[in-house]
Amino acid sequence: MKFIIQRDQLIASVQDVMKAISSRTAIPILTGMKIEAKQHGITLTGSDSDISIESYIPAEEDGIVHVENIEEGNIVLQAKYFPDIVRKLPEKTVEIEADSNLKVTIRSGKAEFNLNGQDAEEYPHLPKLQTESSFKIPTDLMKSLIKQTVFAVSTMETRPILTGVHLKLENNNLTFTATDSHRLASREIPVPDANIEFPSVVVPGKSLNELNKILDDTEELLEINVTNNQILFRTKHLYFLSRLLDGNYPETSRLIPEQSKTVIHANTKELLHTIDRASLLAKEERNNVVKLVTNDNQFLEITSNSPEVGRVAEEIAVQSIEGEELKISFSSKYMLDALKAIENDEVKIEFTGAMRPFIIRPADGESILQLILPVRTY
Amino acid sequence: MKTWSEVAEVQPLASRIITNSITKNRISHAYLIQGERGTGKEEIALLLAKDLFCEDKKGVEPCQQCNACKRIASGNHPDVHWIEPDGLSIKKEQIDQLQKEFSYSGLESNRKVYIIKDADALTTNAANRILKFLEEPSKETTAIMLTENGQSIISTIRSRCQIIDLQPLNAELFRQQLIESGVSEGSARILSALTNNFNEATSWNEDEWFAQARKLMVQLIEMFSTKPADAFLFIHNSWLSHFKERQQLEQGFDLLLLAFKDILYYHLGNETAMIVFTSDNEKLERASMVFSQEKLLSILHAILQAKRKLKQNVHPTLVMEQLTLQIQR
Repeated sequence: MKFIIQRDQLIASVQDVMKAISSRTAIPILTGMKIEAKQHGITLTGSDSDISIESYIPAEEDGIVHVENIEEGNIVLQAKYFPDIVRKLPEKTVEIEADSNLKVTIRSGKAEFNLNGQDAEEYPHLPKLQTESSFKIPTDLMKSLIKQTVFAVSTMETRPILTGVHLKLENNNLTFTATDSHRLASREIPVPDANIEFPSVVVPGKSLNELNKILDDTEELLEINVTNNQILFRTKHLYFLSRLLDGNYPETSRLIPEQSKTVIHANTKELLHTIDRASLLAKEERNNVVKLVTNDNQFLEITSNSPEVGRVAEEIAVQSIEGEELKISFSSKYMLDALKAIENDEVKIEFTGAMRPFIIRPADGESILQLILPVRTY
Repeated sequence: MKTWSEVAEVQPLASRIITNSITKNRISHAYLIQGERGTGKEEIALLLAKDLFCEDKKGVEPCQQCNACKRIASGNHPDVHWIEPDGLSIKKEQIDQLQKEFSYSGLESNRKVYIIKDADALTTNAANRILKFLEEPSKETTAIMLTENGQSIISTIRSRCQIIDLQPLNAELFRQQLIESGVSEGSARILSALTNNFNEATSWNEDEWFAQARKLMVQLIEMFSTKPADAFLFIHNSWLSHFKERQQLEQGFDLLLLAFKDILYYHLGNETAMIVFTSDNEKLERASMVFSQEKLLSILHAILQAKRKLKQNVHPTLVMEQLTLQIQR
């Protein structure tokens, strides 16, 4: 294998791929980075077995040549040293050459490194994207889908399946659902040109957080493909794979109450700030409890009380309160997370009594749904 | 041992059990393979794992050539997980990691294999955690546990595994093998008593340290039978400065054990079984005058006790001092 590459391109790709590589891994080969040279370009791969990232550098793009003199081949290089070496090389171009004894030479200007490589055959075989069974959504939409749901996944390993986000694609509707059994976040979006369906895959929340970090905020299309044991996301030059969680995701649709006794319409920002202020005195060990009481038809009173610290009360005007009077306590943290996920200026909250879960939706549509279980107080 | 037919030469029963279950496609979800050092536990586990992943099997034999086989052999297969003791025991965190693995789908296929080495080193906490997924195995998961001491595995785990007993190696055969490779007969006898591993034995044979250790052991026995009062000094001057590491000290105990066993055999007239001494050795005769049969039994007990204490992290110097006092008494 041999090629000459522009250093800036290589640095950018190496940085992306390094996000997947962890130094503590059970499989020795995964401490390395795989480099694959083909006539049309160079592919770098990194993996910690949970997620894998591939970055592709085309040989030529828009008339600009990134990679020259390519001799095909592949090799695995120690990820501990390779990124630093590339970053500190003196010239604008880097020559990388591997011989049949797995010895790698990196040359730039007068600097020359000789590294020991590993056999690329030993590297895990990652599934390839199959275009016929994939669908596409804009990258920024994917990012907001992740942001609006992934915060609600469980952080406890006792029920591992809940540490993931549940994805469903049916009737051209893509649904993301996450729950830690105290709250639930979900969003549904239409995917008009999807010609596949899958009833249930569960993607680890950690993987989605990583994906969110690595994706740019653009409107370019992101291609998604679900295989038996992995989910693949592809942007133009980046290829992100995650393993799935094994097991049955609980049926969540029955949790969502269909009727409501009290409906409140409020300004999202104002409500958010009020609850944020009240949460200052709420204590973490008592679930950050704040209390909400309806007053007349116009006002909500938000209070929080910690006997050792003090008490806070604030009245907030809302657009409307319909239905029964209500006193309810809930975790301010969950409420803040939920309100932050709602992009609309106005929010509709539907309660069914003080002991039943309540749902928060944007005033204009039903695509986002946040459900919170109240806290019992005396 | 790289193929089942090679395994069958050493472990005919175990290899039959496993190859039969492979051909009949009835592989158990968990195996507990127990056998002494060098009986081929790891080789069997490797072969079984290769059998499960090999793409080009010839009957029951994995091909050893395909990518999956090669990667399993080098420890790089992403769906084969090895768990080894971290320090002296397998910790809860390692099992937590494993548990997380269980909840994920496989990386390349849906099949997963877990090999737990030295399963007797599981802490109670960790063992109880493993139980959970032995109880509810997902469909294509195989757990293989290896141990030298099957009795110290909690019964709840044993009852959930198919237990495969490996025969102890034939010491006589091993000794012949060593003698053929140029080891002197006396050394071959000691080495075959201490290890079952051919490479280990030959490397010890050439080791200066080991030769010195043997010499010290004989000196100590002599010291006990002629000038027991000086033994304590000898321990501090020579013994402890030679056996520094925990492992070395353990080997020292093994040597002492062999020596005292010989003295007992001499008493009983079972001279053919003696390992360290030859029957016409005058040191042996002198020692047998000093130690009665009863005394020898209690000494053997004391040495075993000392080995156990060493494993439980008692300070090595104290263990050795106590043992010396017990032998002197």
